[in-house]
Amino acid sequence: MTIHDKTFESKFAVVGRSVKRSDTLEKVTGTACYAGDVALPGMLHGKTKRSTVAHAIIKRIDVSKALALKGVKAVLTHENVPRVLHYGSPHPRSASVTRDQYILDNRVRYWGEGVAAVAAISEEIAEEALDLIEVEYEPLPAVFTIEDAMRDGAPVIHDNGLPQNQVLPPVIVERGDVEKGFADADFVIEGEYELGRPTPAYMEPNICVAQWDGNGKLTFWSSTQTAFMVRGALAEVLGIPLNKVRVLVDHMGGGFGAKQDLFQHEFLCALLARETNRPVRMEFTRKETFLGGRTRHPGRIWLKQGFRKDGTITAREAKVLFNSGAYGSHGPGVTNVGTAALTSLYRCENVRLEGRCIYTNAPIAGAFRGYGVVQTYYALDLQMDEAAEKLGFDPAEFKLKNAVREGDIAPSNHPIVGHGLEDCIRRGMEETGWPAVRRHGRDTGVKRRGWGIGCEMHGSSAYPGIKEQGNAIVKMNEDGTVTLLTGTAGLGTGAHTALSQIVAEELGVPFETISVVQGDTDVVPWDIGAFASHTTYMGGRAAQIAAADVRRQVLAHAAPQLGATPEELTIRDGVIVVEGSNRSMTLAEAVAPQRGMPAIQLVGVGTYTPTKSYSFAAHFVEVEVDTETGEIRVLQVIPVHEIGKVIHPIAAQGQIEGGIQQGIGHTLSEDYVIDHQTGRSLNAGFVDYKMPLSMDMPPIRTIILETAPDPGGPYGAKGVGEDPIIAIGPAIANAVYDAIGVRFRRYPITPEHVLAALRTKKQEVA
Amino acid sequence: MSQIVSMTINGEERELALEPYRSLLDTLRNEGGLTGTKKGCDVGDCGACTIIMNGKPVNSCLVLAVEAAGAMIETIEGLQLAPDKPHPLQEAFMRYGSAQCGFCTPGIIMMAKALLDENPNPTEDEVRFGIAGNICRCTGYTKIIEAILATAADLQRAKSA
Repeated sequence: MTIHDKTFESKFAVVGRSVKRSDTLEKVTGTACYAGDVALPGMLHGKTKRSTVAHAIIKRIDVSKALALKGVKAVLTHENVPRVLHYGSPHPRSASVTRDQYILDNRVRYWGEGVAAVAAISEEIAEEALDLIEVEYEPLPAVFTIEDAMRDGAPVIHDNGLPQNQVLPPVIVERGDVEKGFADADFVIEGEYELGRPTPAYMEPNICVAQWDGNGKLTFWSSTQTAFMVRGALAEVLGIPLNKVRVLVDHMGGGFGAKQDLFQHEFLCALLARETNRPVRMEFTRKETFLGGRTRHPGRIWLKQGFRKDGTITAREAKVLFNSGAYGSHGPGVTNVGTAALTSLYRCENVRLEGRCIYTNAPIAGAFRGYGVVQTYYALDLQMDEAAEKLGFDPAEFKLKNAVREGDIAPSNHPIVGHGLEDCIRRGMEETGWPAVRRHGRDTGVKRRGWGIGCEMHGSSAYPGIKEQGNAIVKMNEDGTVTLLTGTAGLGTGAHTALSQIVAEELGVPFETISVVQGDTDVVPWDIGAFASHTTYMGGRAAQIAAADVRRQVLAHAAPQLGATPEELTIRDGVIVVEGSNRSMTLAEAVAPQRGMPAIQLVGVGTYTPTKSYSFAAHFVEVEVDTETGEIRVLQVIPVHEIGKVIHPIAAQGQIEGGIQQGIGHTLSEDYVIDHQTGRSLNAGFVDYKMPLSMDMPPIRTIILETAPDPGGPYGAKGVGEDPIIAIGPAIANAVYDAIGVRFRRYPITPEHVLAALRTKKQEVA
Repeated sequence: MSQIVSMTINGEERELALEPYRSLLDTLRNEGGLTGTKKGCDVGDCGACTIIMNGKPVNSCLVLAVEAAGAMIETIEGLQLAPDKPHPLQEAFMRYGSAQCGFCTPGIIMMAKALLDENPNPTEDEVRFGIAGNICRCTGYTKIIEAILATAADLQRAKSA
C-alpha cells in the first residue's frame, strides 16, 4: 500500500495521491462494459477458418457446402473481399511501416492464418460451417528460423525487393569510432544471446462487433489500444471516409502492446455485417489469440564490447536479428527501437549497431511491452555482469560506474535529464545490503540461492520513430463540474484516473468533480493510442494544457464578479479566492447561469507534441535454484524505479508489479513453440503456455524515486508501463549465475537448460 | 431443441430457455443477461468465469447449464450488499488497486468469496493457493492478495466487535 520512500511526499492537492480509480467500481461489480458484452438485436456470429499449412497458394476454395448450411448468412474468401494492401500496424506517422497484408489473400504465410470467414445465427453453426469449407493448398517450402529464411534459395515470403527476406533495410546506428575503441580496450568480451517467443496473453480474447446503419455508417466495438488507428485502417480498406466509421472502446481486458494491430477479423467482421445487413460479432477463442495474435520478436543478438582495466567501456558492437514471422507488423519499429537502445544504458562513445528483421513462416511478432528493448537490454545487461566479474568489479558498482547520466545523448538523440539510473542502483544497493547479500556460488546444497541486479531505461513516447501528439478537451459545466474528453485508451492502467487528477490539480477542484469521456472516435479528440509508456506523459500533458485553458477562461469570467483582476485570483478546492483578501466565491457560483447574463461556454483545448523523456530502473532479485529438478524460483524482487513525478502511486506500483510478473514468465517459462517441420503451434493455450500465477509470484517491494522529473511531462511525470518488464529478466539471469555459477545467454531459462548446464559443468570439473 | 431450465441466480428464481449443449457461462452471459462473468478461455484454464454454485466455486465454462438445474448460483452481480454498498471484497479491491484491466476481477472476487466463506482467516499461502486457478496478467497478484487478506482481517474484526 505504501510507497517505500521517505522523500515521497506530494506538495499537490490531487496529483501524487492514490485516489479511488474512476474505472474501478464498474470493474469490481461486473458492470464494466467490454466489447464482448455488447449484444445487438439480430446479431450474427462470425468465425474465421484458419490455414492448416504454413506456406501455400490456395488453389481452390469451395464454400458451397458451408453456404448451404441452415443458419449460415455469409461466407467470405479471398475471392469476394476487397484486395487492398494494408498495414498490419497502422501507424501512419511512423517512420517505418510495412504494407504487406490483405484482408484475405490467395496465399497463406503461416499456420493458422485466416483464409475464410463465416457469419451465422449462432457460434456453433458458424463453427460447423468452417468445417464445410474445402480448401485445396499448393504447398510452398516454408522457413521458420532466421537462418533458414536468410539462406540462399530460401522461399521469398514477401516480394518487397529486399534480399534475404528482410522486412526493412538493415538498421545501422553508428557513433564514434568503433575500431579505435576496440584498439584502446584492455579486454574484449563477446557473446551470443538467444531470445524466445513470449506472447502477451492478455485475459480478454480479441473481440469486435460491427454494425452498419442505413446511411452507410459503420459503428465498430473493438478491444483495441488504438481506436483511431482502427478507424483509419477500416476506412482505408473499406474505401469509406473517416466520418463513416465510429470506433467504440469502453473497457478493455489488457493489450500489452499487441492490441495496436489489426488481426484480420476486424475487416472480416465489418464486411460480414455489410454483406448480411446485420450486426456481426467476432470473438477469438483463446487458441486463436495465440494462433492469430502477436508475439514478442524472437531472435538472436551478437554483442561485443571493449573495456579498459578501470572498467570504462571503449567500444560496443552488436548484430541484432529479429524473427518477424509471416508479416511485418511492428518489425520495423521494434528493430529500430531495440537496436538504437544499445547506444545507451551503459555509457559508450564508440558504437556500431546493426539490426535486421526477417520474414519467416512463423507466427506474427508484433508490439509487446518493452518493444525490442527487452531483447537488447537482456543481452547488454548480462554481458555487463560478465564483464564486471572478469575485470574484478562488483556488478552493481560496475553498472553504476557506467550508468547513463545527465547530459548523455539518449537513443532518441536527446540529452538525458537527471541521474535516474544512478539513483536507482544506489538505492537498491542500500535496500538490499549489497554486496554482502551476494552468494558467489558459495551454496553447495541441493537448493542454492543468489542475488542479481538488472538495469534498464525506457522512453516515454515513440519519438523519434513517430512524431506523436496528445489532445484533450476540458469542459466546465454550469454547476462547476468538469468533463474531460480524451482519446487515450483505458487498457487497464488507470490512465484516465491519472488524467483526471492532472485536470483537477490544474483547475484547483476536487478529483470527484471530474468525469471522463473516452473511447468514442466520433466524440473525443484524436489520439494515436495507448502505447510507448506515453499516456500519462503525453495525454496527461495535453489534459493539463486544456485544463489551464479553462482555468484562464473561468478566472476572466469570475474576476469582475469578485471585483478583482484575474491575476489576483486562485482556485483552491473548487473555491475562487482573491489572494490577500477575504473575498471568494465557489466555482459553481462563478459559472452558474444568471438572470440577465449571457450563458458562457467554457471549453479548453490542449494539444501536446512531445519529444521524449526516459525513465529508469534497477531490479534486485533473489533466486533459488533447485539443482536436482532445475527449477528456478524467484524469492523476492526489490524493483527501484525513477519515473519523475508520480501521479497515482498505487497505479504506478501496479504497473511495476505486473511488469515483473510478465518478465519472470519471459525469463523462466514462457515460450510459444511451433513445430519446425510444419509450423504448427504446439502450446496454444494456458495449460501448455506457462505463465507465473499466484503461487509462483514472489513478494515485490517496490521503491519509486522522483529524483529526475522531466520538464516535458505533466508536473514532471514520466512513463512507467514498460520499464519493469525490461529490468527483471537480466536481474534473474544474473542472480542464477550468483547461485550456481552458470551464465545462460538465453531466455527462457527452463529446468531443462539448468540441468543440462549443471551436467556440463560437472563434467568440466571432473 | 431448447429446453427450460430453472435455477436461482443471485437469489432470484429464473427460468431460462437454452440448448442442452450450452455452458453455464454462456447461459449466464446471454440468456441470463449477466455479463460480469467473463470468458477468458472457455476451457477451464483461466478462472475468469468463476461463479459460486451451491456454495462451491466453479468454472462456469465447464458446467453445462442443464447441470445447474435447481442450483443456487451466485455471480459478481449478486455480491453487492445493496445498490450503493459494495461487498467488503469489492471495497478492498478498489482500495488496494487490485483491478487493472478488470477482466479477471469478477472471477477472482468470486473465488475469494468462496475461499473466505470456507476459511475466514486464511494465511497468505492459503490465499495464493486458493486463487491459483485464476489467471491475472496485469497485477502480479500483489495487490489482489493484499486485498483478500485485508478483507479477511476486516471481517474477523467486525465479527469479534
